[in-house]
Amino acid sequence: MTEQAHETKSPAILEGIRVVDLTTGSFNYAGRLLAGLGAQVIKIESTEGDPLRHWGPFRDDKKDIEAGGRHLHLDAGKRSISIDIDSLEGQNLARNIIGNCDVVLESFEPGYLETVGLSFESLASSHTNLIMVSMSHFGQSGPYKDYHGSEIVDVAIGGYLRLTGEPDREPVKPYDDLVIQHTALHAATAAVVGIMHRDNTGEGDWFDVAAIDAALFLIGGPTQSYFFNGRVAQRNGNRLLFTEPQYLYPSTIRPCLDGYVHAHGNNRNQDLLAVLMPDIGLEPLFDTPMGNADKIDELMDLWLSTRDKFEVVRLAQELRLPFTEVLTPEEILQDPHLEERGFLVNLEHPLEPNLLQPGHAALMSETPWINQRAPLIGEHTDEILQTLLGIDEEERAELRDKGVIE
Amino acid sequence: MSAQALNKIRVLELTTAVAGPVAGCVLADMGAEVIKIESPGGRSLKSPGAPPPIEGAPDHPYNRTAFFNELHRGKKLLSLDLKHEDGKNIFLQLVENADVVMENFSPKIVGRLGIDYAELKKIKNDIICVSMPAFGKSGPYESRASYGPGIDAMSGLSHLTGFPDGNPGKPAQFYCDQNAGLTAALTVMGAVRHRNRTGQGQYIELAMLEGEMQLIAPALMDVMMNSRSPNRTGNRHDRFAPQGVYRCKGENEWVAITVRTDIEWQSLANLIGKPEIAKDNRFIDLDGRQIHHEDIDKLVENWTQTLTPQEAETVMQGAGIPAGALLNLNEAFTHPQFQHRNTLVHVEHPEMGTFPHTRTAWRSKNKNEGVAGPAPTFGNANKYVLSDLLNFSQEEQQKLKDLGIVSDAPLS
Repeated sequence: MTEQAHETKSPAILEGIRVVDLTTGSFNYAGRLLAGLGAQVIKIESTEGDPLRHWGPFRDDKKDIEAGGRHLHLDAGKRSISIDIDSLEGQNLARNIIGNCDVVLESFEPGYLETVGLSFESLASSHTNLIMVSMSHFGQSGPYKDYHGSEIVDVAIGGYLRLTGEPDREPVKPYDDLVIQHTALHAATAAVVGIMHRDNTGEGDWFDVAAIDAALFLIGGPTQSYFFNGRVAQRNGNRLLFTEPQYLYPSTIRPCLDGYVHAHGNNRNQDLLAVLMPDIGLEPLFDTPMGNADKIDELMDLWLSTRDKFEVVRLAQELRLPFTEVLTPEEILQDPHLEERGFLVNLEHPLEPNLLQPGHAALMSETPWINQRAPLIGEHTDEILQTLLGIDEEERAELRDKGVIE
Repeated sequence: MSAQALNKIRVLELTTAVAGPVAGCVLADMGAEVIKIESPGGRSLKSPGAPPPIEGAPDHPYNRTAFFNELHRGKKLLSLDLKHEDGKNIFLQLVENADVVMENFSPKIVGRLGIDYAELKKIKNDIICVSMPAFGKSGPYESRASYGPGIDAMSGLSHLTGFPDGNPGKPAQFYCDQNAGLTAALTVMGAVRHRNRTGQGQYIELAMLEGEMQLIAPALMDVMMNSRSPNRTGNRHDRFAPQGVYRCKGENEWVAITVRTDIEWQSLANLIGKPEIAKDNRFIDLDGRQIHHEDIDKLVENWTQTLTPQEAETVMQGAGIPAGALLNLNEAFTHPQFQHRNTLVHVEHPEMGTFPHTRTAWRSKNKNEGVAGPAPTFGNANKYVLSDLLNFSQEEQQKLKDLGIVSDAPLS
């Protein structure tokens, strides 16, 4: 276990909280966050492993469900117990484990848990202060409850996809599972809300978290603008979505000699842009910067075309102009800033002993952020059954013979 | 919403831009009393594009801007000049009566104002302080200036968003800010719980870059595992094909479709009236469909172009295939699923009347969430703070106003 950046004396924030994690795919980020805050997160998965484990990247592109990149990151700090949840005995085991835990995270299709006898109502009837957080694409009820979602479908219906991309081309989805992972952040937050509410009242709760809501939450400003002035925002490439001519510009990405830079003006002093890029004729365009965006691009591009991104950003930042480099993943791995902060960590997984991965989501002065490697499938089956349920070696051998556990 | 998670928790918010204010909104929605502190000279008196005042309400355009109202819903507003010695003293007295202080000033300004964690801890030993710097309070980029989209650029997100033959891209709006704001709310709640149990406050440092980079792990690992240079992949998916955004009937109308399995592919082939391609060996498995993705896209789009996005969505969903119309914001707000989830909450603003706000993505059985209320009018908590919390006399309050340290309207 590594505790980062601070010598901390106190136990982690969620130490003593037990979480059962039944999620799949990028929804697993919720459990990762709670493990980071110190909860004991028990991942219940089948013997084939959570589908997350089947999704790369894999070293040399060879599939290894113990060592996929997404699994190593999103399951970091969890324990794994392997149970055949399709069997009645497996379902009973899961119920008994949940009976000894505080929080359940799940992302099955709405209604599935009811079919295996693990619905919130049925669990809460004997475990009255249980906190369950259910994640899904569209929510646990309503006309779209049984619709099928995916990242790109969720961002489509959530209004997010139409706002991303160039105006003259089809909309383009954001990288990877951006909204699903953000949904999992909402779920982790909901879990802590539930824990605090339970601290205050002793009551449990059931949270229904939907990816389409997370998409709308992410849009932020343009939603309020619509309510206020009826303007329906449209995708605007790398420019901001507020298109009034007097609005700030540049805030965009432009090519330079060796790649791209993010170029950004200064709300209080646009003239700094003319100090950075002198004698190219920018000054007359600043009265209505957004209205002159095409012309500003044209002038900037010429200036940028002879300079590399690190030089451009250095010159701009000396003037307090918030320009930054558009970094590639290779460049990020060499980045001196992340290295000095110890952000990328090696969790010494036996199958990936030299791999670096994102560490803390936050640093706290008195309580640690827990970084621990992801578990092998069923690595903690014996330990959890023994310590949590008192199931001894003989009984476990029996369950193994029947294929209930692995 | 009785006994909300943050009942009786008082948060002082000294934030600008987007991430800090978002954190404050979420904490307010969870029951905290959030007092935003704003400089008396910090806001323009005129606000083009603000909706008109309701009948009988004063005409204060500065209270009616969209951006301010979105980012500060549910909070109170104290207008206070922290640069003035008396203003700073009022702030410090308020800290004695607070649980959490949130700021996202640059490290230099916090030092200059003398309100860093070490100072505030002397005044209230169990205070929880939260900083939300762009890059963190150490390292070579500590003092770099940047807003959300600039952080997106440095996280790798811009490089990875867009088409392979196009420029790096910006996802919709301020991903990095909204993400950091919610992560801050999560850790603040955790820190409050820790303090409730142990009596110990603490300092939380939430670097926006590091919150965002939790998303970039797959690309970073592909570099380390395969010496590959991950690039943009447009609307494609490495495990599902076809996946894309397809043009529909009408101008700028689209549907998104994901085919997850070979069986879904065969269903799709039949639905689009091309049963022969279901049996075509080129498309029979994922690898084949990835190789021939462009050909498939053309076939799918020939079909979607004859339908509205909703029609295409309904047909695909009817066969169990994930599909969704690309909704405009106005369409999303009237969409039956958002309506069912009460995603929009209407709150009444004293000068504008009723407006909807969007809320966090969870609904709880105990109704332990919501939207705390409208954004504050300028200085609406001045009297509450000075009279009720700090017992300043009428004369003292008038003097503060005369000196411009506290103000009921922007002074700019």
